Amino acid sequence: MKRLTHVLVIVLLLSLPLALAAGLRPGDITVHKLDNGLKIVLLEDHDIPNIAYYTFFRVGSRNERPGLTGVSHFIEHMMFNGTQANGPGQFDRIMEASGGANNAFTSEDMTGYTNWYPAAALEKMIELDADRMQGLIFDPKVLESERSVVASERRMGVENNNENLLGETVRATAIMAHPYHWDVIGWMSDILSWKRDEIIAYYRTFYSPNNAVIVVCGDFQTPKIMELIRKYYAAIPRGPEPPAVLTVEPSQLGPRRVVVHKPAQTPSFLQVYHAPAATDPDFPAMDVLGMALLQGESSRLYQRLVARDQLAIDVSGGIGQSIDPLLFTIAVKPRPGVDTGLIEKAIEEELARIKKDGIAEKELMKALNSVRMDFYNPLMTISGKAYKLGQSEIYYGGYEHIFKAMDPYKAVTLKQVQEAAGKYFSENNKTVGVLIPEGGSK
Amino acid sequence: MKKAILIGIIAAFAILPLCGANSLPTPQKFKLNNGLTVYYLQDKDLPLVAARMLVKGAGTAFEPAEGLANLTAALMLKGAAGKTAVQVAEDIDSLGAALDISAADEYMNLSASCLAEHFDRLMGIAADCMLKPAFSPEEFEKERQNRIDSLKAAKDNPGQAVRLYFRKAYFGTHPLGHLAGGTDTSLGAMTVGQVRDYYRKYLGPQQAVLAVAGDIEPDRLKQVLNRTFGKWQQSVPAPAAKLPEFPAPHGKVLILVDKPDATQAYFGLGFPGFGMGDDISAAAQVMNTLFGGRFTSWLNTELRIKRGLTYGVSSSFQQWRGNGIFNAFSYTKNDQIGEMLDITLELIAKAKKEGFGEEEIQSARNYILGQFPPTLENLGAKARSYLTLDFYGLGFNYYDGLLERIGKITKPQADAVAGKYFSDQNFVLVVVGRAEEIFAQLAKFGDFKIKKIGAADF
Repeated sequence: MKRLTHVLVIVLLLSLPLALAAGLRPGDITVHKLDNGLKIVLLEDHDIPNIAYYTFFRVGSRNERPGLTGVSHFIEHMMFNGTQANGPGQFDRIMEASGGANNAFTSEDMTGYTNWYPAAALEKMIELDADRMQGLIFDPKVLESERSVVASERRMGVENNNENLLGETVRATAIMAHPYHWDVIGWMSDILSWKRDEIIAYYRTFYSPNNAVIVVCGDFQTPKIMELIRKYYAAIPRGPEPPAVLTVEPSQLGPRRVVVHKPAQTPSFLQVYHAPAATDPDFPAMDVLGMALLQGESSRLYQRLVARDQLAIDVSGGIGQSIDPLLFTIAVKPRPGVDTGLIEKAIEEELARIKKDGIAEKELMKALNSVRMDFYNPLMTISGKAYKLGQSEIYYGGYEHIFKAMDPYKAVTLKQVQEAAGKYFSENNKTVGVLIPEGGSK
Repeated sequence: MKKAILIGIIAAFAILPLCGANSLPTPQKFKLNNGLTVYYLQDKDLPLVAARMLVKGAGTAFEPAEGLANLTAALMLKGAAGKTAVQVAEDIDSLGAALDISAADEYMNLSASCLAEHFDRLMGIAADCMLKPAFSPEEFEKERQNRIDSLKAAKDNPGQAVRLYFRKAYFGTHPLGHLAGGTDTSLGAMTVGQVRDYYRKYLGPQQAVLAVAGDIEPDRLKQVLNRTFGKWQQSVPAPAAKLPEFPAPHGKVLILVDKPDATQAYFGLGFPGFGMGDDISAAAQVMNTLFGGRFTSWLNTELRIKRGLTYGVSSSFQQWRGNGIFNAFSYTKNDQIGEMLDITLELIAKAKKEGFGEEEIQSARNYILGQFPPTLENLGAKARSYLTLDFYGLGFNYYDGLLERIGKITKPQADAVAGKYFSDQNFVLVVVGRAEEIFAQLAKFGDFKIKKIGAADF
């Protein structure tokens, strides 16, 4: 019976391109490139009278250096704070008055600018976005105000959030050399001391058309939008080739451990392992491992730590996509007063079990179904489609990857999963962090 | 992220106006023999199905013990129809599906999403959980303890804590003061017998409405539902569910919650509001968009953009049947909380006295109308809307009408909302932060009652 179920899943996976028929077809997407290197990926979708206009720059915290940590994220903020043509705040005021809204995000590997607006606002919005690609003025007064905003963001997100505070400490302990060493938000002392000319130099280096890809999905006509994009972007000069990130994280040669003492009512626990990059052949097997260990209440670590041993309130984690190798995380929210040594011991036992016996076929099936759900869910919205296409561009070098994304998963074998567990979940590759409530026990 | 405020905008309105007529497709409707109402929309774009169920009256506002509705909801997934909690979890997870049951204020929610090919199986599991929950003493004890521990974890996060303390401060002993997760005291006294009793009294097909949207043929849907939820029987008539009159602050209710390690101070401010579907909704939506509901709002412009005091500030009207509240939340460095509150209260006074500009009104109208269509794009959102509109008796063309009214809102109408609800004398203000550093700054606003974050309850 088990075998049959598994075969059924594989057959369904193979039929994916057919199932995509109405949601996203390769033939519906067009790709364009301007002479200045700007790549544009377009998908018409006329279901609602709106447009998702996303610009992705190939810049994130991995491109930073000590002293300038967090600057990619800061420029994300400054992209809304004034050009010669449009003064500080104008971008948002014009956009919102036209019925549009926007946001932006920065990760280790990319910065994304996400606009959602009614189709009728298209030209004005393109003009605004093109204007800020190279036109920011970094008004000193505005810059200082925004610096305070980012400091507040850090206080909210890291200093007053125990899980994130521990996460930052563990990351910096596990990763020594690579710029993934610091969080995307950057160190507070850097936030408070970036120099304006350094920020501008960074902006000039990375915010050029040849380092960007625009993905648009929604209610537009392709010839018309390309005419507008050419009109507003073609004159922006190509920028310098951004410097490559050359630092390779050296292999970890022994377990690392870090303790944070802080007034709190509950402890926090985080265990991480160096993990493969998104394009590494081991990535899908590690992703499957993550789902077996941590996804849902049926997962091994939820069952062990929360349901059975009752050592924790919740568990989460797994592997995420990244350009360079990053981390596999096991985050545990311990119950108040619990000895976190017991948590670590239980995790070790569960990992040893997987290394010895692998995972069951039903766990692989669960992972494959989850991958399919994760694939289809974003395709319900124009925003989700734009994000998925952009993500494919940044991590895999082209939107086409979206149509092959399932292939490596359906090829994953139980043996590969077991081998990946043995390869990555080693004592020497591990870093453990514990936040201990001050004055309390572990 | 550039804008924490976005979350506030989305959360601000459970119901937003729609751009263009009939933008929410009208669903099919049928009833099962046991009285369960079903709304249904076929959508073949993707091989997905979303189902949402609402059980009227089974929410936290009607529970006899605080936290009981949500504890009951969670336990429905912890073992059913002879299967243990882990077996149920395995059944759901093996499909890559999502199944959740939780209690909102006025009703209980079931939410299920899956690949179309798994719909029959997921509905089978969902019905087992709703119809035949085990409520074993072991799972009850685990879940109860987990919730008690989670309350402590929530208090370690001041952004989360301020909302819980605000809710208590505003509503006090009114049923809407019930916290979804319960309190130390209420959970400490809870028994599995109460859970069983609550389930028996409050859950039944006659109070339930189900909405299904996605790639499923009507015949198959009916077969599946008859086989699963069709077997649900009402054991006793459900108690009447009516909210008592809302409290309204008379004078200033001021609470300071001391969290000695906080490097920022967090505030929540509240005034009375209005109920779901009230005629004032359209004007209020325009007013709130301008006041604190979007990035260029007054609050965000003054507190974040001009002064860099905070990463995020937002305001919203929260609505229930018959009544509601207005609230605003933000945070800043400990030594700037006095300045932040000064500005916030000045803006309240300015909105009340001067109102908004004509150009601003136009901008807010465009913004609301332009941002509405994406809110109904996905299957879950459509299904959810059917239930919400049904529950509040607003009709499936409600959004169209609201849109039309928003498109015509004038300055006097928007100003009147601020005039009616804002006050410089009667409000609830809760601050969570390091008392030693912020107390002196707060003195000018009145006498704050001080609570310790580590103390039991709220």
